[in-house]
Amino acid sequence: MSGETRDVMSRKLGPTCGATEGGSEEAEQQERSRDGGATSGSEASRRTARRKHQTMVEAEQNFAALLERLRPECETLMARYEQKRSALLPIVHLFQGHQGFVSLEAMNAAAEMLEMSPAEVEAVVSFYTLLYRRPVGKYVLQVCRGLSCSINGAEDIMAYFREKLGIGHLETTGDGLFSYEEVECLAACDRATCMEVNLEFVYDLTPAKVDELLESIRAGTYGVAPMTQTLPPGRTWEIAQNDQIASGRKSPGAVRVEDPDNAGGVGDASGTIMLDHLINRDVYMFGRTNERAVVDSRAVVETMGERADHAGH
Amino acid sequence: MPVTKVLTAGIGEADLRDIETYRQRGGYRQWERAVRELQPADVLDLAEKSGLRGRGGAAFPTGRKWSFLPSEKHPRYLVCNCDEAEPGTFKDHMLLEESPHLVLEGMLIGSYGIACHHAFIYIRGEFKRGYEIFCAALEEARAAGYVGKNVFGSGYDIDVTVHRGAGAYICGEETGLLNSLEGKRGEPRLKPPFPAIEGLYGMPTVVNNVETLAYLVPIMERGAQWFSSVGTERSKGYKIVSVSGHVRNPGNYEVALGTTVREIIELAGGLRPGRTFAAVQPGGGSSACIFEEHLDWPYDYESMTKAGSMLGSGGFIVFDDTTDFVNAAYNLVRFFGHESCGQCTPCREGSSWMERVLERLVRHRGIPGDYEMLLRVSGSITGLNLCALGDSIEPFLKSVMLRFPEAFRSRIVAETVAR
Repeated sequence: MSGETRDVMSRKLGPTCGATEGGSEEAEQQERSRDGGATSGSEASRRTARRKHQTMVEAEQNFAALLERLRPECETLMARYEQKRSALLPIVHLFQGHQGFVSLEAMNAAAEMLEMSPAEVEAVVSFYTLLYRRPVGKYVLQVCRGLSCSINGAEDIMAYFREKLGIGHLETTGDGLFSYEEVECLAACDRATCMEVNLEFVYDLTPAKVDELLESIRAGTYGVAPMTQTLPPGRTWEIAQNDQIASGRKSPGAVRVEDPDNAGGVGDASGTIMLDHLINRDVYMFGRTNERAVVDSRAVVETMGERADHAGH
Repeated sequence: MPVTKVLTAGIGEADLRDIETYRQRGGYRQWERAVRELQPADVLDLAEKSGLRGRGGAAFPTGRKWSFLPSEKHPRYLVCNCDEAEPGTFKDHMLLEESPHLVLEGMLIGSYGIACHHAFIYIRGEFKRGYEIFCAALEEARAAGYVGKNVFGSGYDIDVTVHRGAGAYICGEETGLLNSLEGKRGEPRLKPPFPAIEGLYGMPTVVNNVETLAYLVPIMERGAQWFSSVGTERSKGYKIVSVSGHVRNPGNYEVALGTTVREIIELAGGLRPGRTFAAVQPGGGSSACIFEEHLDWPYDYESMTKAGSMLGSGGFIVFDDTTDFVNAAYNLVRFFGHESCGQCTPCREGSSWMERVLERLVRHRGIPGDYEMLLRVSGSITGLNLCALGDSIEPFLKSVMLRFPEAFRSRIVAETVAR
């Protein structure tokens, strides 16, 4: 992709679409049909480049078109409630159905229709686990990790899925076909281990059943429709709440801690909120260096407990 | 005591999703009778006299909940809570998918009982199939004139709106549900005011569980006396128990309250061959375990409370001797940590910290003092939160830690080894 094309992309589409390579399938299909399906040689590569550029531009126009198409339905949804803000979840469900995720554009549009600020809309959307703010795979596999499933073999099924797909919790396969997630109790404990494929239940999982499921999805013969995919998904659709922890950088609150390997407090001088990455991640993944810190953090927790005890009296 | 099919009658035998089939079995006749022959006050009276208590978990007397609505404030709303997500509970899921008209008829009768003209049902986002089934049933009922303006020519108007959630356990908490329904984050509200005074859009609102509302239909049909004659002194009527875990035939079993714990396990086919009983979690993921000594106790609200647990939502998980209780405790604490909305510090921080401590116990990497610390920290979460989620973290953990201390202590390695 040329630099110029990239420029157009980022200028036109904003953050949600910045990392994309392909484009809207719908747009690509339209393009293909306009070409009459004929491609050859260098003409083809020039056309590919042009197509990429165009699909990016079209994606934005497509959203405007999509919005116009969905607006009447949104208005019907809004009219169902005494206060139109109640239509927020139905509206974002609707957009997710058409885009495969809740795009920034969709959130902005919802905000405008419901007279909310875009920040408020995103605050709501980010609260719910079934709303994706980044593209996901065509088949979202949600395996139940609830207690009833867990004591009936869910851990083995989950391990089997991870091995078969080559990805982990909250990740999408490179081909954009599968997204995998381990979810809380799905309320089908009598049929443990259970899961949902694009929100359709699958019960009584066994490794053989998992094989069958994955194969038929790959073969395109599975009975559940794929999710719409308007943009190729990334490795994960999760937006990390604490990017600096993932990247190893210290949180702003940790500046008072002199020893960088010690229990770097996040947020306050007493250094209390560090258990997350210290206790498990560091001990189990990085060996000796931080084990001292773990012992220290235990002391902190003890103190916390005592404080709570005092407060109770 | 055998299974008594009341709400579950016909499920698995006939296609109750079809309005004709449902009607042939007497469907919508009670709704018709309510609007044609009774006053709302009569329905409320019936609910009160039947002794029906909330089947979602809190077990609050239904009639009394309705009676709190201030008479001068209108409009008022009824919201059916179908955000079933309590670990181990799957009764509403079944009712919604298998008998949607019964759920709807219960909602309509309930709405009439509180004289409201707009009812909502909040369906868990994961129940996509159930949502579609219910929407289809609602359209059938609308076409038949059971929902809409001037139903049965009585002059009574009722509209029903289906609202789909999007994945959040906390929206099953009634004020979290109302916020979600209002297009907000599903964070529970400070109470009081309770929803009966200030609920949806600030107006008086009743939030009732699917099963609770569904029981109004047979109560209308057979009378309050019929319902209250079954059960124990304060726990009246029937309950669908969702039995799962280490039993041979997990499933929903509808029983009279007061059936013993042992009988319920036997209804589900008993334990698997060669296994021995370890514990039961009798009221969903939020309840404490009960043990062998409670097997012959009656399964009712008071007895379960007396046994140190609760009947809750009727999610009944059976554990045999193969259960790793440290892992089970980790599983549930992780659940609550994941589902904590984050408003209250004790719940948000406590759950996620304990999850990490339990994780290291699961990995046999516990640190001396972990056992005591877990008990202390979990105890100091309880009672300090806006809603019951925070208080739900301790019961299971504490009950199994006290019962099987060695399972936990044996995962602790000496400090010198840790270094």
